[in-house]
Amino acid sequence: MDQWTGPTYYNRPQLKAAPFDKTLVGGYVFLAGLSGGAQMLSTLLDLTRGRKARDVVRRGRQLALLAPTVGSALLVADLHTPKRFYNMLRVAKRTSPMSIGTWILSAFTGFSGITAVADFAADRVPGLGWLRRGARAAQVPAAVAGAGLGTYTASLLSATSTPLWAAAPRALAVRFAASSVASAAAALSLFSRDQKLRRDLDTVCAGALAVEVAATVVADEEYRRTGVDEALKSPSGRLDTIGAFDVGTVVPLGLLAFGLLHGGRSRPLSSMASLAVLGGSLMMRIAVIGSGDVSASRPDISLRFMQKR
Amino acid sequence: MHPRAVEHSQSDLDRVIPDEAELTAGVRIVPGRSYGFFTDTTLCIGCKACEVACKEWNNLPADHLGLTGDSYDNTGMLSANTWRHVAFIERDVRADNQSPFQSGWLMMSDVCKHCENAPCMEACPTGALFKTEFNTIVVQQDICNGCGYCVPACPFGVVDLNKVDGKAHKCTLCYDRLKGGLEPACAKSCPTDSIQFGEVAELQQRAARRVEKLHEIGVSSAYLYGTPGAPGGSGDYGHLNAFFLLTERPETYNLPAEPTRPSNRVLPSLVSGLATMAGLTLAALALFTRNR
Repeated sequence: MDQWTGPTYYNRPQLKAAPFDKTLVGGYVFLAGLSGGAQMLSTLLDLTRGRKARDVVRRGRQLALLAPTVGSALLVADLHTPKRFYNMLRVAKRTSPMSIGTWILSAFTGFSGITAVADFAADRVPGLGWLRRGARAAQVPAAVAGAGLGTYTASLLSATSTPLWAAAPRALAVRFAASSVASAAAALSLFSRDQKLRRDLDTVCAGALAVEVAATVVADEEYRRTGVDEALKSPSGRLDTIGAFDVGTVVPLGLLAFGLLHGGRSRPLSSMASLAVLGGSLMMRIAVIGSGDVSASRPDISLRFMQKR
Repeated sequence: MHPRAVEHSQSDLDRVIPDEAELTAGVRIVPGRSYGFFTDTTLCIGCKACEVACKEWNNLPADHLGLTGDSYDNTGMLSANTWRHVAFIERDVRADNQSPFQSGWLMMSDVCKHCENAPCMEACPTGALFKTEFNTIVVQQDICNGCGYCVPACPFGVVDLNKVDGKAHKCTLCYDRLKGGLEPACAKSCPTDSIQFGEVAELQQRAARRVEKLHEIGVSSAYLYGTPGAPGGSGDYGHLNAFFLLTERPETYNLPAEPTRPSNRVLPSLVSGLATMAGLTLAALALFTRNR
């Protein structure tokens, strides 16, 4: 058959957009990335630096509690029958990233909870110092689950028929993963009083941002190739291309690169970049969900996307 | 007359006719076999009896009252409350070489496709969506928690959330009727047999014969949508239990030409994401160790 050029059926949507509240779900995806990344980085710091990075490690373990608490609440709030949230635990399905994610979040909640509680108790309760070893043991599986927590959300979007999410599954996953690590490094850098440690965290952040920039460029190319790029011209798309990419990724990458090349001693510069990264990471998730919805409600985009290639 | 119809000469019956589908559709409904619809759009007259029968049997409310201005299609689209939708496409008769009194209109009664590899069911994280003993896909209303993930999973825009009860809804292929040996309401009500109910393998053969017949009598554009290897049956869908005979390209009827199976993207996506995580972790580990 020849390539389809139109017309559509009275311009009526051919797909149904996901009934997700993009702020609630986008907020969760951001917190999942932040918490997962924070657990990963604080585990790495605890294993390599130990006592010297004590404060930042503790902050990381606290940040890791955001997804299990606030994040889970956002997810339940987005359900249309919230009182049945526990039905998510009835099955485990590898074809459903939402089911995979349920179990990743459950594992992460358990291990991160043990890590944070054991850490807290070891510090505050006399005679419980031995619990610190429990925290060190639990943080490793927590970090592994954290890696999953920061990435499965991209699979969740890509494993749908929504054109913009389905068009570039690999690039979107790299983008989400890199943004998770960048946001966690940025948050930990904000809390870091030790200059050397802050410089290292800023370096990690800059590296992750560079990966994110590359993945975004690749994703945009895929969007053009598959004809879904028009969804990026919507307000949500602009939030992604201008807000999340330009302001939230490229600018802080420039700031961090500038700062690091000049010795990485400027805390205001580092803080400014970190705040931009955190804002960009949140905006990116909300914008990707929103522009995906646009691509699903436009039949010209969805019918063009589902052509033989 | 069907031989079994002789047993029921009166219209006022004192009991349910056992295996009624044998009388109305010529098929006995047996658990373990695969049932579906063959919708032949060349026979559709746009009467919307299927829409009405579906609403009546399933107790579904109207979506909206009023006119859309888009031909006779005031239903709009399939939704949580609308499980059959007749599409109207007004084509310019003079563009064809048909004689002027003939209508060039296309009409198609759309419905849930009950995919062999159904993306909505694969996406469902609660197991509310399941495959029945009749090889159809049904949402269990007592389990669905309204996460809405089945909605974007469907490449046909069929599944929808009802904001009032907070659950996902779609055509059940009259699961309750099948259990009672009855033909689904829409197919039973169809006055032209545009909607045919039966065993999928048998329907596919019947449909292939129909396409041959149409080609013979000059409708060379007739083809099947949703049979193995055909448009709609692509991208790992296997086949659609509710499939169609069309005479224009799928997009004309708001159907995707080559839908892809969403769950095929899970692995590439997870692997890419986790590889990124692993790479950044190793880089961070090297940095943290070196600057110790």
